[in-house]
Amino acid sequence: MNWALFWQTCRFQRVRLALVCVALAVWGFLLPVIYARFGSQFSALLNSGLLPKEFANFGGGDVFSLPGSIALSFIHPIAIILISVFAIGFSSAAVAGERERGTLEVALARPVSRQTFYFTLLMASWVFVATTIAALLAGGVSGSMFAGVAGELAFERLPLLWVNGVILFGAFAAIGLAASVSFDRLPPALGWALGIVITMYVMQVLGSLWPAAEILQPYSLFYYLKPKPILTGAAEPSDLAVLALVIALAVAWALVVFPRRDLAAPS
Amino acid sequence: MKQTAIETLGLTKRYGEVRALEAIDLLVRQGEVFGFLGPNGAGKSTTIRLLLGFLHPSAGSARVLGLDIVHESVAIRRRIGYLPGGIALYDTLTGEQLLEYLGRLTGRASVRRREWCERLELSATTLKRLVRDYSRGMRQKIGIVQALQHDPELAILDEPSEGLDPLMQRAFYDILDVLKREGRTIFFSSHVLSEVERVCDRVAIVRQGKLVAVEETAALLSRQKRNVQIRFTGAPPRLDSVPGVSAIERSNGRGGLEGPRDTGGPKGPHYLRCRVEGDMRPFLAAIADAGVEDLTIEPARLEDAFLELYQGGHQ
Repeated sequence: MNWALFWQTCRFQRVRLALVCVALAVWGFLLPVIYARFGSQFSALLNSGLLPKEFANFGGGDVFSLPGSIALSFIHPIAIILISVFAIGFSSAAVAGERERGTLEVALARPVSRQTFYFTLLMASWVFVATTIAALLAGGVSGSMFAGVAGELAFERLPLLWVNGVILFGAFAAIGLAASVSFDRLPPALGWALGIVITMYVMQVLGSLWPAAEILQPYSLFYYLKPKPILTGAAEPSDLAVLALVIALAVAWALVVFPRRDLAAPS
Repeated sequence: MKQTAIETLGLTKRYGEVRALEAIDLLVRQGEVFGFLGPNGAGKSTTIRLLLGFLHPSAGSARVLGLDIVHESVAIRRRIGYLPGGIALYDTLTGEQLLEYLGRLTGRASVRRREWCERLELSATTLKRLVRDYSRGMRQKIGIVQALQHDPELAILDEPSEGLDPLMQRAFYDILDVLKREGRTIFFSSHVLSEVERVCDRVAIVRQGKLVAVEETAALLSRQKRNVQIRFTGAPPRLDSVPGVSAIERSNGRGGLEGPRDTGGPKGPHYLRCRVEGDMRPFLAAIADAGVEDLTIEPARLEDAFLELYQGGHQ
């Protein structure tokens, strides 16, 4: 870990991080309010049979319960896109982007090993992801209090939900950084990382809406994000183990590839 | 005896079938200014990137300040300063923030930042501006300062005067003079042969990944042929048998010149042009009694030596 690199990376990202956190907090705030105001109407609409039952379980979230609405705030595309600004955008650009701009060789001409450089950026990406997830949760708690439904929330389970979110998006950050150290230019690194996230997201949502596609869900990392089971006390620790395994594989890939790569002069 | 700053033994870099660098044997002594010359694609940057650990050698080995480039790369980079060719900087930082950040990354106090900034006329006001607003020359000056601000034992500079105006080039050469007097080692690649000629103790010439020559700059220049033009009061003497004299053109008595070449220029009835290599004394002795009316000796230039070595290599 190189602290000079870490703090400078935080300084570079601070405005973007603040904006994403505010947006996520607002988004997290809205869902419990929507649940409190319109949850019963949505429930009645669904029970009327006008909508297929599968719509009640979009990616594992719903608006018929507080845990369901908080789960929906995690799995909804708005949250995925905002968190991915760091989980995918930052991590993919961290090395490949610097390489493309030519600034990587200025940094690596210093006494910083490639392993240290990589670990510092990995830590930074996890700190950014952890902060954004905390902002989303803070918004959810604030919204619950504002809507007067905080009593339905198991506060003692929120830290585990935060850990689950951080490990999921931390795994995506590790994948993004693994792609970043593997390419000399940003587009292929970003393309690979984004492709993996989008494919997994489609598999998860498709599986939640279409029973025949359920078989795909275990192959999606989003399947192991379990906000509702965590908040209702039905989560399984094996979900976190799968995500941890993916992180370990991505880190191992990066540690094998990055130090062995030739960094030719930027074109 | 001076210690070795850089030593390569059969240093080779291949990209598949392409040989970017072929068995380079190089020795740079501590305290010398060493010029590394060659056209684009010759292998200069590849050599530098191998020394810094950006590339991995396909064969051979190298040591920088006594440390192995493969296994002790971080320790090497702690003791050197590096200016990349066409340096890219973090545009969203001010010059001051950038130097501060790179200084912190180096992990050594930036003891000479102020001195180099003053010499390169980087004022406090300039350093407070964002790097993105800097001109090409300003960026290069920041690049030079970041490479030298921590007073490294060895400076590796890739095309260091690129983008500098003549005044700043002179200021940069003064910096090199200061470092040289202090016994620092400077290894720099350049296309600008006049600056290499001005500041380097020794030069290496690389062509198509191979080392063509490593010589003292002075020796290279002294070996180089000087162009001589003489106007005599009478008929030019025969110089064919004088050691070191070649390419003789003499007036043919009809207002023209006869000889292996006709390079243009002034012609007259008693005129002679030739090239003289090495010791000038036999040549001067041969013309001493010939009634010299006018004598012009064009000094040897590194450009000519460089071109000659290159042309020799091509042949």
